Amino acid sequence: MILTPQVSGAAGVNADAGAGVGAAVTDPLLVTEAVTRRYGYRRVFADVTFSLRRGEVLALLGPNGAGKTTLLRVLAGLLRPSGGSVTRNGTVGLVAHNSMAYDALTARENLAFAAKLWGIVDAARVEELLDRLGLVRWQDQRVATFSRGMTQRLAIARALIHQPDILLLDEPFHSLDDPGVADVVRLLGELVSEGRGRGRGRAIVLVTHQLERLVQLATSVGYLVHGTLVGPEPMDDRSVETIAARYRGLLNRA
Amino acid sequence: MTARESALRTARRGQAITALALAGLAGVYVRALAFTPVERLQGPAQKIYYVHVPVAIYALAAFAVTGLLSIAYLWLRDERIDRAAEASAEVGVVFSVVMLISGPLWGKPVWGTWWAWDARLTSTLFIFLLFVGYLIMRGAIVEVDQRARFSAVLGILGLALVPFIHLTVYLFRTIHPQPILFKPSAPSLPGVMLTTILLSLGVFTLLYVGFTTQRYAVASLRALREEELLSDA
Amino acid sequence: MRDYLGVVWAIVVKDATVEWRTKTAFMSAVVFAILVLSILYFARDPTAVSSMDIAPGALWVTFTFAAMVGLNRAFLLERENQAIDGMLLTPVPRTAIFVGKMTGNLLFVGFVELISVPLFVLFYNVSLAGRLPQLLAVTAMATVAFVAVGTLLSAMAVRTRFAELMLPILLLPFLIPPVVGAVQLTSRILAARPASELMGWFKLLAAFDIVFCVLAILLYEATLDE
Repeated sequence: MILTPQVSGAAGVNADAGAGVGAAVTDPLLVTEAVTRRYGYRRVFADVTFSLRRGEVLALLGPNGAGKTTLLRVLAGLLRPSGGSVTRNGTVGLVAHNSMAYDALTARENLAFAAKLWGIVDAARVEELLDRLGLVRWQDQRVATFSRGMTQRLAIARALIHQPDILLLDEPFHSLDDPGVADVVRLLGELVSEGRGRGRGRAIVLVTHQLERLVQLATSVGYLVHGTLVGPEPMDDRSVETIAARYRGLLNRA
Repeated sequence: MTARESALRTARRGQAITALALAGLAGVYVRALAFTPVERLQGPAQKIYYVHVPVAIYALAAFAVTGLLSIAYLWLRDERIDRAAEASAEVGVVFSVVMLISGPLWGKPVWGTWWAWDARLTSTLFIFLLFVGYLIMRGAIVEVDQRARFSAVLGILGLALVPFIHLTVYLFRTIHPQPILFKPSAPSLPGVMLTTILLSLGVFTLLYVGFTTQRYAVASLRALREEELLSDA
Repeated sequence: MRDYLGVVWAIVVKDATVEWRTKTAFMSAVVFAILVLSILYFARDPTAVSSMDIAPGALWVTFTFAAMVGLNRAFLLERENQAIDGMLLTPVPRTAIFVGKMTGNLLFVGFVELISVPLFVLFYNVSLAGRLPQLLAVTAMATVAFVAVGTLLSAMAVRTRFAELMLPILLLPFLIPPVVGAVQLTSRILAARPASELMGWFKLLAAFDIVFCVLAILLYEATLDE
């Protein structure tokens, strides 16, 4: 049972009773405790510890192969940690490298299928997301005909279908054009602060190399370098140069 | 003691057991050829029994061990169990080859044909192919945990398949000699031959254990080297 | 329970929609079936062996080979954009995913069989009159048998190197009991033999179905990344 920590069953998801609602508003939504993950005999990362509350955006920086994607999959519950623990006090939405979409289905059908699996009966939810991600014009086209940017929008819509408390985003700006990036940045800004029930706001883990977007959105930065997580460090100074210099410094440290 | 030293020690133990078994096998054959009477109906060809029967028993036992270890692996998730399952499957495949060669050598003079689609022969051929597939699949997966899980799934399915294959070919028809060793009444073999074949069974027990132990040690050493290569990188 | 079946159904509908729009796998399987049926007809000495003698075997070789062409499709589809993750992220039971995939494959193979049988009757000049219920039972039981094992093995095969090659190698040994049983039953039914001669094989098929459906459902979770 890989996914059970955050939900008790399909029925619990649709109601606005994520497990986090009962907890105090300031309790962390996502807590990792010395998380380690191996791939075969290779240790991808070790000792990843952080906690994330509502309204917080943790940005992750790290070179290719540092295990950012693996970490997101562990956080999402798709992979089990090899050591340590991950606690999720809410539902999780994941935007991964792959779109998780079926090419032969239309955008609407893809979303409706996801909604069905999440036990969401409200048909308006699909409409709302199509509208919010600017996909209405293409909603009845097959994903096979989509550009990368449109596919990315669909992937984000899919991740939001069950109004997750925790959003995990792997390069969400990838292959979006400038208006697309602006749209998604605005959307993420809204998502962080909006929410359901008493506990307002979401927690976001954002993997991106686009430092301009990062400084716009992040409340803290973690650096996944040399097999472990440095930070998260608070964003005292929202400047691209500061972050870039810090990142370079960590990379060059043996 | 480092992991490497302990693996090497396991390997040496396996070698010692195998050496003992090979010496025993030579002994069994001296006894079989010189001191055991020639069977009246089958003639000298029957001497192949002393290899064929034990090797067949241990081929199937090896696959059964793989199946049982597969269940244990999914339960305990210990990679050593997976290595043992692999070792046993490989030894089982080698024993099956010996069995499939020694069988026809006996079959030609006695049945008058190299190959007969007899029940037990056919079952063992299919089970042999199943475990060849098991080893091929292992070779086609890189990641160790995934390989172990997939192999365990296949091992368990294989274990469940064996009785069905046997039942299938049995329902089809059979001409194999009826069991002479494992049957409800007392063994119907003359005493001298019985002693020889029981000795041979003992020798093949050692041979199976020796081979499997060595193969297990090889798997452990391979895993260690992979680990070392990764930590160097 | 209704939720569970709802999920299974959603997966079946989704897979069927995808298959309906692409049709590649289905068309290949049907063409493959026609080719095998006709090749097997000519793979005999017509002066010595009547087509009736090889008909049951030909039918079952056709069914299983054609099924094998399509079985990998169910999980290849999920691999395409890593869509399976989308399902695994939801609280849906893993077994429901497997049962959905397996039901989809049953429909797929069922339709291939539906198209092959009239051709079989035509090519081999067999009369099915009065034997249809029995033949239907045999077909259903044997198809469930190899689709259950085949679906589980394809979930693994698509994630190995040489995926297309791996499925037949892994699956064929498991086809021996159901296919031999189905051929025996089919030839006895076509020869109008008494029901008592069928029972042994029917029992074998039933036991195989139960054991391997349960095993496949239980073992599916072990084939997922963790």
